[in-house]
Amino acid sequence: MARGPELFKLEHVTQRFRLPQGDVTVLNDVSFTASEGEFIAIVGPSGAGKSTILRLISGLLKPSQGQVIYKGRPLTQTNLEAAMVFQNFGLLPWLTVAQNVELGLEPRGLDRAARRKRVATYIAKVGLEGYEEAYPRELSGGMKQRVGLARALAVEPEILLMDEPFSSLDALTSINLRDELIDIWSDRDFPVNTVVMVTHMIEEAIELADRVLVLSSRPGQIAGDLQIDLPRPRDKRDKAFSEYVDKIFSLIA
Amino acid sequence: MDKPGGTTHAAANESNQPLPQIGISEILGLVELLRAKGGREDIYKLARELQMEFGDTLTVIRAAELLGLVHTPGGDVEIDKAGDEIGRAKIGDRKGIIHDQLLKLPVFNTLSGFLKEKEDHRASRDEVLEKLAELIPNENAEQTFTTLVQWGRYAELFGYNDDSETFYLDTEASA
Repeated sequence: MARGPELFKLEHVTQRFRLPQGDVTVLNDVSFTASEGEFIAIVGPSGAGKSTILRLISGLLKPSQGQVIYKGRPLTQTNLEAAMVFQNFGLLPWLTVAQNVELGLEPRGLDRAARRKRVATYIAKVGLEGYEEAYPRELSGGMKQRVGLARALAVEPEILLMDEPFSSLDALTSINLRDELIDIWSDRDFPVNTVVMVTHMIEEAIELADRVLVLSSRPGQIAGDLQIDLPRPRDKRDKAFSEYVDKIFSLIA
Repeated sequence: MDKPGGTTHAAANESNQPLPQIGISEILGLVELLRAKGGREDIYKLARELQMEFGDTLTVIRAAELLGLVHTPGGDVEIDKAGDEIGRAKIGDRKGIIHDQLLKLPVFNTLSGFLKEKEDHRASRDEVLEKLAELIPNENAEQTFTTLVQWGRYAELFGYNDDSETFYLDTEASA
């Protein structure tokens, strides 16, 4: 997807958390700019502040120092243009699949008919037709994460944030979901054109993203910023693919 | 039912095989992985690469085989025509292929016929469990029911409402 104008940027962001055992600095002077249409993956060891960056972009967290600029303006409250896909799905167990997908639409002023239509569209897009009245307890992990994805897409956000979306799934299910995500992403009707995904898996980042930001271990700092110039679908056995793996690995290590 | 291909594959369609407790996403993942590997791989190597228990890997392969997507010559697993088709298909078109494959399985076919004969195309959970006990006598009907619902929902062949414990033919899609 073509790289468009600037969508958001982090400017000299430092994030500290106050814990009972003392202050912890999770991010230290992190700056980067994201353009519309980019699929960015953030990789790094655990504790490097990867998920914290997503929370900053979603406006759920205010930086201790520095600022997040979204479409030219400092972000001071919850970013309604962002939607999140969580590692542990974040589904409400007492609601059906359709009700879970509809959840994010109610505060957005859509009437009932428009909401139902939106729900049907995104349930179809992620391959969940037939599961509308199922409860999360009746679903496999792969189907639960499809619900998480449909719920995020249904609000038609400008930016999709994904926090380790495949890491609580078994190996084969995550292969399937990555494959289908590429399918959805390459669809012209895809409502979102900017994605920021956090992962600890280097290969997953290279398989999916246009650009990989590498964070060093705590406190997280940008240790590398790489464009992935490989055609999709990407083949892990490709020499160029393994060169990217080696490069990112050496940046983290 | 005449099926070309491996002997195990043909056998899978002749009798009422137990349904493994495997979700559709795992089966699709296996098919996608095999396609990326040129269509065939040694099962032991596959398990090692996936860091999965050998037995667990075999269960997924058995499920894909039951659906006619792969077969298992020697110690290998090889993709079948339907498997290759599903691997190529877009998300929305995958359901149709699974739908057709499910109807080749006696359990799904018989239950689909059973529901069609009913005026409202509905049955209670207990009725279905009883039917399953007849069809696959030596298996845990509750476990089979779970897979039946999961696969049936994906293929839009069957629907199930857990509140009312009603199992029904998803006529909108199967009409």
